[in-house]
Amino acid sequence: MALALLSLLGFGWRFGPILTKILQSKKDPGFDLFPIGRRVRDFVWEVLLQAKVIRERPLAGIAHALVFWAFCAFALVTLNHCATIFGPGFLDPAGRVGRLYFDFAALFAVACAVGIVGLFLRRFLARPKWLGEVSWGSGLIALLILVLMVTYLAAFLVPATGTAARALWWAHTLTLLAFLPLIPHTKHLHLVLSPITVFLSRGGFAEIPPLAGDEDFGLVAGKDLTRLVSLQAYSCVECGRCMEHCPANNTGKLLNPKEVVLGLRGYLNDLGPASEEPLLGKYNSQEAAFECTTCGACEFQCPVGIEHLPIIVGLRRGAVNTGTWENDYGAKLFLALERGSNALGMNTSERDKFVEKNALPLFDGTQEYCLWLGCMGAYDPRGREIVVALVRVMRHLGASFGVMRKERCTGDPVRRLGNDLLFQQLAESNLEALAQSKTKKIISICPHCVRTIQEDWKAYGTPPEVEHHSEFLARHMSELSFVSRHDFSRADSAGKSVGALAPEVSRKEKIVFHDPCYLGRYRGVYEEPRKVAALAGELVEAPRSHERSFCCGAGGGLVFLGEEKGERVSEVRAAELAATGASVVGTACPFCNTMFRDAFAEKGEGAPVLMDIAQLAARGLPESK
Amino acid sequence: MKILVAIKQVPERDAPVRIDASAKWIEERELQWAMNEPDAYALEEALLLKEKNGGEVIVVSAGPERVGSTIREALAKGADRGIQIVCDDLSARDALGVARLLAAAIKPENPDLVLTGLQSEDVGLGQTGVIVAELLGLPHATMILHVEKTDSGLKVKRELEEGWFQSIELPTPAVLTMQSGGNKLRYATLMGIKKAKTKELRTVSAAELGVEATPTVTLEQISAPKKQKSTQILPGSAKEAAVALVEKLKTEARVL
Amino acid sequence: MSGILVVQEARKDRFFQETLAAGRKLAESTGLTLEAAGVGDSNNDLFVNVTGPPPGGAHAIVHPLLETYTADGFILAFQQLIRKLEPDYIVFPHTYQVRDFVPRLAARFGQVLIGDVTAIEAGPLFVRQLFQGKLSGSYRHQGDGPCFVSIQSGAFRSDSPVGGKTNIFQFVPEIDATQIRTRPGEPFRGSAQTVDLGSAQRIVSVGRGIKDAQNLPLVQELATALGAEIAASRPICDNGWLPMERQVGSSGQTVAPKLYLAIGISGAIQHLVGMKGSQCIVAINKDPDAPIFEVADYGIVGDLFEVVPALTEAVKAAKQ
Repeated sequence: MALALLSLLGFGWRFGPILTKILQSKKDPGFDLFPIGRRVRDFVWEVLLQAKVIRERPLAGIAHALVFWAFCAFALVTLNHCATIFGPGFLDPAGRVGRLYFDFAALFAVACAVGIVGLFLRRFLARPKWLGEVSWGSGLIALLILVLMVTYLAAFLVPATGTAARALWWAHTLTLLAFLPLIPHTKHLHLVLSPITVFLSRGGFAEIPPLAGDEDFGLVAGKDLTRLVSLQAYSCVECGRCMEHCPANNTGKLLNPKEVVLGLRGYLNDLGPASEEPLLGKYNSQEAAFECTTCGACEFQCPVGIEHLPIIVGLRRGAVNTGTWENDYGAKLFLALERGSNALGMNTSERDKFVEKNALPLFDGTQEYCLWLGCMGAYDPRGREIVVALVRVMRHLGASFGVMRKERCTGDPVRRLGNDLLFQQLAESNLEALAQSKTKKIISICPHCVRTIQEDWKAYGTPPEVEHHSEFLARHMSELSFVSRHDFSRADSAGKSVGALAPEVSRKEKIVFHDPCYLGRYRGVYEEPRKVAALAGELVEAPRSHERSFCCGAGGGLVFLGEEKGERVSEVRAAELAATGASVVGTACPFCNTMFRDAFAEKGEGAPVLMDIAQLAARGLPESK
Repeated sequence: MKILVAIKQVPERDAPVRIDASAKWIEERELQWAMNEPDAYALEEALLLKEKNGGEVIVVSAGPERVGSTIREALAKGADRGIQIVCDDLSARDALGVARLLAAAIKPENPDLVLTGLQSEDVGLGQTGVIVAELLGLPHATMILHVEKTDSGLKVKRELEEGWFQSIELPTPAVLTMQSGGNKLRYATLMGIKKAKTKELRTVSAAELGVEATPTVTLEQISAPKKQKSTQILPGSAKEAAVALVEKLKTEARVL
Repeated sequence: MSGILVVQEARKDRFFQETLAAGRKLAESTGLTLEAAGVGDSNNDLFVNVTGPPPGGAHAIVHPLLETYTADGFILAFQQLIRKLEPDYIVFPHTYQVRDFVPRLAARFGQVLIGDVTAIEAGPLFVRQLFQGKLSGSYRHQGDGPCFVSIQSGAFRSDSPVGGKTNIFQFVPEIDATQIRTRPGEPFRGSAQTVDLGSAQRIVSVGRGIKDAQNLPLVQELATALGAEIAASRPICDNGWLPMERQVGSSGQTVAPKLYLAIGISGAIQHLVGMKGSQCIVAINKDPDAPIFEVADYGIVGDLFEVVPALTEAVKAAKQ
């Protein structure tokens, strides 16, 4: 009994401060427990059913799931056992209910034992690099769990009374009591915290929380960490799923999403949630924070509900909003948008010339759709090709649309880099212009614009409805004809498709569609662009596709920040796409398009042709050119 | 060091300028406004000097109400206080008239250094700063890229034609007009804007300064230049096109 | 004297001829006589190689304190000369030096310099560019005081030579050393080590069209002939054919020279954002649809391996 108390004390001694730190962190602005339905659903799916754990790493995931389910199943057993410390248990092993339950638990005990042995072997023999350094703490815990299961099962094999049973009882008890205080000392704290973390998560994906009041500049120091962030920092199980999928981490850069979270944990452990020490310094590197493309692969995969994006963007905000981020390219981007209308620093007369030359109708409030060109669609030669193709298709479909006379950048790169002042200015002026022009629905060729308009502008007003052109095109599939006649092999090495219709070619071209981060993971749109791409050929998939799609490297404002360290993310992905043997790479984002254009141009002859889905759809149109 | 920076609010560089009904100025109604870029470099140099040598940076700007936003931008970037000379007929004054306004506001401040941009992006006369020096009776230098404080005053780097530079030493107080590109501009930050809210922005009217506006040079009329910018593709063989290009570059573009 | 005084700046002979041409235009429309002035020794050939009908007289301003240019010195000298001659118009070339001292000189007379004039129309009205060249403005001088004008380089064609002799008068102003408050140093070039494309006046830039590193000398020759810096788009620097400091574009440098020649560059946005501020853009590319032509002022559609040597020839010939 004394031991039990000691064990409890041990647990509390470590857990107490952690809980305090979490609670002492400032409240999350805009946090609402309701609607609770979503929270319950996520809880059931991710915690009870272990969906994210299994889906990403099936074998190890199932092993873990077995251990987890065993813990759940054992809940009553363990409670009963604890009760026996103080007196009689409440579950009678002789009674029918008791018997049933104990046998039921035994099944799980076997499963758990198998699972834990498997996981032990994986961690200590296979040693995947995602798990980091060999952790003896994990080994100890695994051992304890095994002992718990073995002692439980062994109890079936010996008479209920007698020294053997007694010994097993003691072994089981001691193991339990040893286990309890160890929980908060290791990452096994997730046993307690992660179900709560999943339940309390923000809900959206890569949601950037609003700033709270005049003194809030983002995550500058410990005192800016909110309860959710602190909770998440302590929930990390160090599984490394985030790191495994991070494009920066995979190409030799400093950034490691796992280390970002653990860095916060280290900060909280050492300095606490009230500290004024900058977060970007000893525990987290500013350089790493600015290597993030905001692709979201980390947050998407995290099985314990950690939201990496708000953390990384929060750290960036802390640096940019206080002027401590000194970067020539970043300053150039901000200055270009302070003084001008677009992120590229181009003269708006160039956009006007483009609109005029292609006779694009101007939006006058009467048309159904406002076709948003965006910076790339208005100024980038490749982006313009996409717009021209889309316009052809829209005209063919008889859609009523117009383009704004003037556009200002939606502010996506500024938002992801953490410049709230500039973002507010851009969002507000755009919202006003759109309201004045009576725009109800927007179609955009750029998933970044779509995301920013729909989600990020909400902080400053009510944006019009917005959708990506793949969603629009997918709705009109019946009116777009199947293209079997195009000879995509006649393209020059720059990826520019030349060549007219080749009427006799009937073989199907292989097309690999690259899921843009901001369309796929951010918006959940995977099938619509594929439907459109399938118009022009046979679809093949890259090894990493759908929600595991590997970033092109442009996001997070990085395309504006000059050269990157290590390998180029775009080249890695381009190689992966080319290796599928496809002759066409289908894209749905002008940034992906531009990034791959450069990467394929390096390859020279034999590189696949790059086509946006709008261009693929346009190929099927009756008119020539 | 007490540094005074004179800045001008001009139409955004990108803005399409249209001639107004009187044909004497441009249609201002739909324009977006921004800080004149050379003045932004002057402000940046002032802020760098303050960071290095301590002191105060004050900005002054003349113009209608809307000019206040540009002064606040300067405050957000680090200037300590601002003076707005409210004046609705700025475009009707000549450079001397504007300089008189500025000098009248600057004189009582007794600064160690007055910085301003080399020229404005709208009218581009490039004289206001120099005339202010004359009105204040201070030594001056133009086309400055870099300013350093020395024991005897200042040492500045001046740009000359054809890629040459020159160092000039001069005593303080002095007036310098700054060339663009000598330093790296800083972006406006949220923190800067919040701090700017508590900084002093004093307004004074042209009348209070006792400066009248009779110009010695008037802008009679504005018109669109005869040739519009379009791409000229030079035809013919390589040799013919090359010769034609050189001719155009010499006589038309005047860059050779 | 009344009349028009045309001012000469040392080592700017061609500009002087142009300024004289402008002065003559003004003389025509006002009926005033033309004279010249300049700082320098009356014995040197300051005014000897005048083209066109010579000015009535020329005034050489001579003083030891004027040997090195200072604003204070020159203002004092010209101020005294102007008080003596009382011209109606004083016409300068629009140089950095003039921009440095003439506004202040004019202010001393309660005047404003009408600078960077590109045309003189009846009135006289002086035309200059506003809003970065988007509009032109016509200025008129008011009142009785002298009118200060400066002329843009190349705006007026210098006239063809006509013989004649000019009377040269020496003028010695009164200047005290204490009146000169600035101490200028010797002119120097930017550091030879680092490549400073940002301040280059002329740039010849090469792209993928060059195909191979061994073709670079072709372009280098053109750059040398033009007195230009050589630069490149990213792929060239990636291949190591030129150092990274010579890269122009979104991940390299941003440049705004007077003349930018884009050779074999298609005009992708990453490159455009680095050079679109150039005053005059010339594109040479064999693809007539290359996006670079959209932003170019002049273009040649052709094989750069033919065009570039031809251009080098033409540039060298024009220098004669």
